[in-house]
Amino acid sequence: MERLSSFIGPLVRPVRSVPLAWHLLVGLLAFLVVATVIGSSSQYLQTRYAEMAFFAIAAGGLTLLTGLSGQLSLGHGALMAVGAYAATLVLERTGGETLADVFVALLVAIAVCAVVGVIVGVPAARLHGPYIAGATLTLAVAVPRLANQWEFLGGEQGLQVPVPRAAELPAWIQDLVWFFTAAEIDQYSFLAYLGWLLLILAFVALANLSRSRVGRRWRAVRDDDVSAELAGIHLGRARVVAFTVSAMCAGLAGGLMAMNVRLTAPGAFTITLSLTLLAAVVLGGLGSLTGALIGAGVLAFLPHFATDLGESAGLSATQAAEVTPVVYGLVLMLVILLAPAGIVGSLRLFLARSSLGSSTKEKTT
Amino acid sequence: MFAVEDLSAAYGPVKALNGVSFTASRGQVTAVLGANGAGKTTLLRTVSGLVRSTGGSVTLNGKDITRTATEKLTSYGLSHVPEGRGVIAELTVVENLRLGGLHRATGSEPMPIERIFELFPRLGERREATAHMLSGGERQMLVIGRALMARPTVLLLDEPSLGLAPRVVAQIFDLLRGLVQTEELTVVLVEQNARSALSIADHGVVLNLGKVVASAPAAELAADEQLRHAYLGF
Amino acid sequence: MQQFLDTTLGGLVLGAVYAAFALALCLIWRSTRIVNFAQAAMAMVTTYIALSLINVDVPYWVAFLAAIAAGFVLGAVIERVIIRPVEGKAELNAVILTLGLFMVLHGLTAITFGVQHRGFPAPVSTSAISVGDTSIGITPFGILTIVVVAVVMAGLVVLFRFTDLGLRMRASAFNGEVSRLLGVRVGRMLTLGWALAAAVGAVAGMLIAGGDLVNPAFMDPFVIYGFVAAVLGGLDSPIGSVIGGLILGLSLSYVTGYVGEHLAPLVALGILMLVLLVRPSGLFAAAAARRV
Repeated sequence: MERLSSFIGPLVRPVRSVPLAWHLLVGLLAFLVVATVIGSSSQYLQTRYAEMAFFAIAAGGLTLLTGLSGQLSLGHGALMAVGAYAATLVLERTGGETLADVFVALLVAIAVCAVVGVIVGVPAARLHGPYIAGATLTLAVAVPRLANQWEFLGGEQGLQVPVPRAAELPAWIQDLVWFFTAAEIDQYSFLAYLGWLLLILAFVALANLSRSRVGRRWRAVRDDDVSAELAGIHLGRARVVAFTVSAMCAGLAGGLMAMNVRLTAPGAFTITLSLTLLAAVVLGGLGSLTGALIGAGVLAFLPHFATDLGESAGLSATQAAEVTPVVYGLVLMLVILLAPAGIVGSLRLFLARSSLGSSTKEKTT
Repeated sequence: MFAVEDLSAAYGPVKALNGVSFTASRGQVTAVLGANGAGKTTLLRTVSGLVRSTGGSVTLNGKDITRTATEKLTSYGLSHVPEGRGVIAELTVVENLRLGGLHRATGSEPMPIERIFELFPRLGERREATAHMLSGGERQMLVIGRALMARPTVLLLDEPSLGLAPRVVAQIFDLLRGLVQTEELTVVLVEQNARSALSIADHGVVLNLGKVVASAPAAELAADEQLRHAYLGF
Repeated sequence: MQQFLDTTLGGLVLGAVYAAFALALCLIWRSTRIVNFAQAAMAMVTTYIALSLINVDVPYWVAFLAAIAAGFVLGAVIERVIIRPVEGKAELNAVILTLGLFMVLHGLTAITFGVQHRGFPAPVSTSAISVGDTSIGITPFGILTIVVVAVVMAGLVVLFRFTDLGLRMRASAFNGEVSRLLGVRVGRMLTLGWALAAAVGAVAGMLIAGGDLVNPAFMDPFVIYGFVAAVLGGLDSPIGSVIGGLILGLSLSYVTGYVGEHLAPLVALGILMLVLLVRPSGLFAAAAARRV
């Protein structure tokens, strides 16, 4: 084992020393694994994976915002709504028939949310604790209602989302998928591949940010803003950047969600969505991208499981649907009361403690 | 009679009190002295139960109060005036005093607020003022008065002279001395200002790094130049 | 002109309920320094308890009292069991905890009672009062609402200013450690604060429900509107909660009446941001009490 690691070490070291290169490598490998899994899954699972992808993107941005930058946002459901509506409107205009249409729509969603992120982030940077929570929660309620107010946003019924048909995707993509997974690409797998490709790219970017000077600034501001300011860090700017980055993630997630659900309506963006995202992030562990991924997995797979459980326990369909929010609420409460660091955080603490115990005695101050 | 025996307390791995023992007698002022960080405040906080003791005992009139809940102590006749005075700034003078009288020593007669105003006329003049408007000296009078409302037999005072002008300190200490004699209180006076404290104390206990390094009549301590220089700063 | 009068009166009634709800939030904030995001769900639960009683022919006012009692118990249990572990810890924890509680209460009520809208009776008429030929834009129930809220407020003032218990509660909220040294059972006072707040919230829930439809989400707007009203007045100030509630009620009534009901939350957000950025401690922030 030692010989093996001393052999691999020098090979990997140059890549490891450049975070971006390392992250890209890991991302590429991850995508290959994921693509294989998606390709061999049922339609049901492919839809779940696609959901997991866009939830993870939103959760990733939120976990960095809350965990690294220390700003709690309950309004990311609203930001997803903004992204969803932006993407939908663009797809309506362009027809939504080609892959290019899709990417343009998503880019517009990201851009619009970047702007909204700055607009919201600037005042939010001055708030903390319950104040930023309450303000963003109000945002979460206010934004979707705008769709009811103005005609072109489709009102209560919402807007249909045109999405390219898998059969009409460029030939090289269809061939690539066939080559790797021995299956034809279809609507469900297309959305899954797209989602995960974007998820991996987003996480690579977020991981890099986290490791970079920007990320260190965020942590400094979170941990001790007085010292950070004395060290020359502009508090407001750091916080706004963090907020904007997370908003862009939410925008991308919203755009993908629109394409998955095929309908963009205010009813999809309730307070519950924002609280659900929070639950995912808290469960996984604030500040951890891995945690965000775990949380997103729960978001994608739990509802159907919980609803089935409810129905088999004798509840009606609408009642069974309410089991899921109860579970999320319990998750939030139990994690805070029992393991505030979340899954990943608690694991890290546990590993740190056990390694501290087994290592030779060191003086800790 | 108030007795502390082999009392220990710790903040995590740091031992703040290491086997402290002394007694304070009725009708006497016992000064607890020592430099910053010697453990004086920790001693009072441990007696009051705000800090958990790791060993030893505290006895009040024969009753073991080591593990007694903080809230119960006034009913046993122990009043603690904390570091920083502990005025409740948002309440008025009258409200602070009333509050002090709500949980008086079991079996005692209620203390009329007017009595406190007789003792501290300045407070009487400002009875409806919100406590945060009072000067340092007035606040000190307020918290002593508030403690007296509970009809204590033992009074713990943590650095009453902190931040006060010497003249005010002298006034308050005179008052304290008078009260001890008329009410037969047992007073444990924690002070960094050792000179003033010893001037009204009967007995002195010197702490250093959580341990008792000297315990003697106040006059003896005041006369011991070496001790004064080493631990008391004068 | 008629519309202005109607919207103003409607705003006052709504404002009275926001005031009550904001008072509940203020009570909890003052005692435990926590914004209780689950307050709205708690009020919803107590209202459903009252509805269950009414549906088995319990008289309205008995059910009203039962709701208040249920609120009292619910608030006490929640503080003692769920909230106590996070008091004094990082504020993020309490926020997340109460949000989780909100979701749990919401979902459990929906599972138990279903999500459909149900009618809720009112003890007095909910039709607009007529004076001669014209109808004034206020109903007898609206007047009752204002009266009940005023009574509740008066009760709280009496409690806090003139009773020993109120003194203990205030002292516990201002300085817990010193209060303990003075013999106050601070823990019990905190529990009492939550119990009282939940009882006030229960009153608000009953006043909103009367003569209207209820479903598990009927109190949800209060999560944000109650918060905005409380912050507007100053989280520490009971008078502020009342004034904040009235201002918010009137503002939202005008927006709904003249511009569009879907813009109401946005206006609330605007008011909130204005307050937080210009005068963060609220309109009625007491002179910052210095602790010495």
